[in-house]
Amino acid sequence: MTREIKFESPSFQRRIKGMLGVDFYRLFHTPLFYIFLAIAAIIPAMVSAMTVMPGPDGSPGTPLYSNVWQIIAASESLYVICGIADYANMNMVFIFGGIMVSIFIGHDYKSGYVKQLFTTHAKKQDYMISKTLACAFAMACMCISYFIGGTVGGLLVGYETEVNAGSLILAILGKIVMSLGWASFYTFLNVIFRRYFGVSIASSFFFGTGILIIGAAAIVESLGAPAWFLNVFLYGASVNASLASHIGSFFVCLAVSLGWTVIYNLLGTEILSKSDVY
Amino acid sequence: MNAIEIRDLTKNFGEKQAVCGLDMTVPMGAIYGFIGENGSGKSTTEKIVCGLIHASGGSVRLYGRPHTDSDVRARLGVLIEAPGCYPSLTVWDNMMLQAENLALPDAESAVVATLKAVRMEGAAGNKYKNCSLGMKQRVGIAMALLGDPLLLVLDEPQNGLDADGMRIMREVFLDIVKDGKRSIVISSHLLGELQKVATHYGIIRHGKMLVEMTAAELDASCRTFVALQSGDMRKTKALLCEKYARVEEDEAGYLRVYDAVTPEQIVKYLYEKGVCVTEIKTDKIGLEEYYIDLMKGGK
Repeated sequence: MTREIKFESPSFQRRIKGMLGVDFYRLFHTPLFYIFLAIAAIIPAMVSAMTVMPGPDGSPGTPLYSNVWQIIAASESLYVICGIADYANMNMVFIFGGIMVSIFIGHDYKSGYVKQLFTTHAKKQDYMISKTLACAFAMACMCISYFIGGTVGGLLVGYETEVNAGSLILAILGKIVMSLGWASFYTFLNVIFRRYFGVSIASSFFFGTGILIIGAAAIVESLGAPAWFLNVFLYGASVNASLASHIGSFFVCLAVSLGWTVIYNLLGTEILSKSDVY
Repeated sequence: MNAIEIRDLTKNFGEKQAVCGLDMTVPMGAIYGFIGENGSGKSTTEKIVCGLIHASGGSVRLYGRPHTDSDVRARLGVLIEAPGCYPSLTVWDNMMLQAENLALPDAESAVVATLKAVRMEGAAGNKYKNCSLGMKQRVGIAMALLGDPLLLVLDEPQNGLDADGMRIMREVFLDIVKDGKRSIVISSHLLGELQKVATHYGIIRHGKMLVEMTAAELDASCRTFVALQSGDMRKTKALLCEKYARVEEDEAGYLRVYDAVTPEQIVKYLYEKGVCVTEIKTDKIGLEEYYIDLMKGGK
């Protein structure tokens, strides 16, 4: 009987395939993803309907939007919102997308499944990459779902449809690309608050609303710095993907999203590597 | 080469030292019974071995390699505390997730075979949250068995198992180690059950290894005793206590005499004192009693 044992070092490709396999299997086999897809479709449709509802005295409602596509993206890059119409667009996906990511990742720890993930060959870096990609995919799907819901809702209400098609497509693509950056940010938040499920959901909601960018905008304005500086932040770049988008705006989204993804993945990997995971 | 070699392992949680200078050796092909009181550091040690928590000091080597190497980790099967399963998914889905995690080439066949090994093939469609405690434990063991692991680390695997489940697991464990390469570490409080399969033991207390021994060494260390019953147990006990240093009454109502004596000597002694022995036998203390003795400091 030979007692020689050969060990095969699993390649990055094999490890990440395994991790992605777990995340996508779970994504498609649990109701969470589908519930949030439905939420993403229903919310813009509801917002469209509510904006034209008559008042309590029967007076006709004042439409918030003049155009269907304003439900998808703001007319221009407004870092400080003036009204609900400037706010209620596809950027909302990044708020409830954050909640979805928190539930999705939080259950790894709550159920104890994370033990299975980290006791096998997977590395902490694989975990960050896989969660980011799976959650980015889910949020990108929510963007598409939001687009369908918003378009159908806006058309039913009877808003105008005139738009610069190129800008609209670039705005949608820009927001889809931003899903990656947001997903990496929420994954990072959930790595920090992994033992506190409620805190991770609350923090995802808080940061997703873009409250901090309003403060940052005020600082930028008082310093006399150009407003485009705010595009280096996730929310700023997301707002920048507007109906006035051009190819440059899209590349800004791409660069910002990729840049933050790398930063959050490195930070998350470092935190997981240095701490006790379970 | 040993399956696990731990040297001078320490783990601190703030001020509290959970493991302090632990040495542990699990040979290849062993079923290692890892025993200790609650809070003695068993789970902490196992979590360090599995890479879930970091050691504060010392070294852990698995099959001669650092325990953090991904190649050796790829051959590790784990059940720590409770099975890590998603409650709202079915048993099948949970198993498939683990198969995906391990990137098994033929995931479905591997899952079917493993569920069959733990006799859970009929419950594959059940949601995990609706499974009984014993079924959940079987799923946890099945997940640990997936992917042909070289080393299994099982924390209380017999928890909640019925008699048949325990027998099945014994067969599974013995089958795993028969090639002499695979090893299993089992921490359990069911010492009688553990004694039926373990080839090696490690007893831990306050984060330190009290003793490590083979099953044969344990057998040799376990003291023999003579157990007897008579018509007048009170008088018998009083008489035996006069002559022998350690006489105890066990749970079954027998009087145990631990000194190196033969049944014939005791029967003769009691007969001379007018006591008739109705039943007498010689036996050895089991792992459980050995462990209790050791904990009391009176090995």
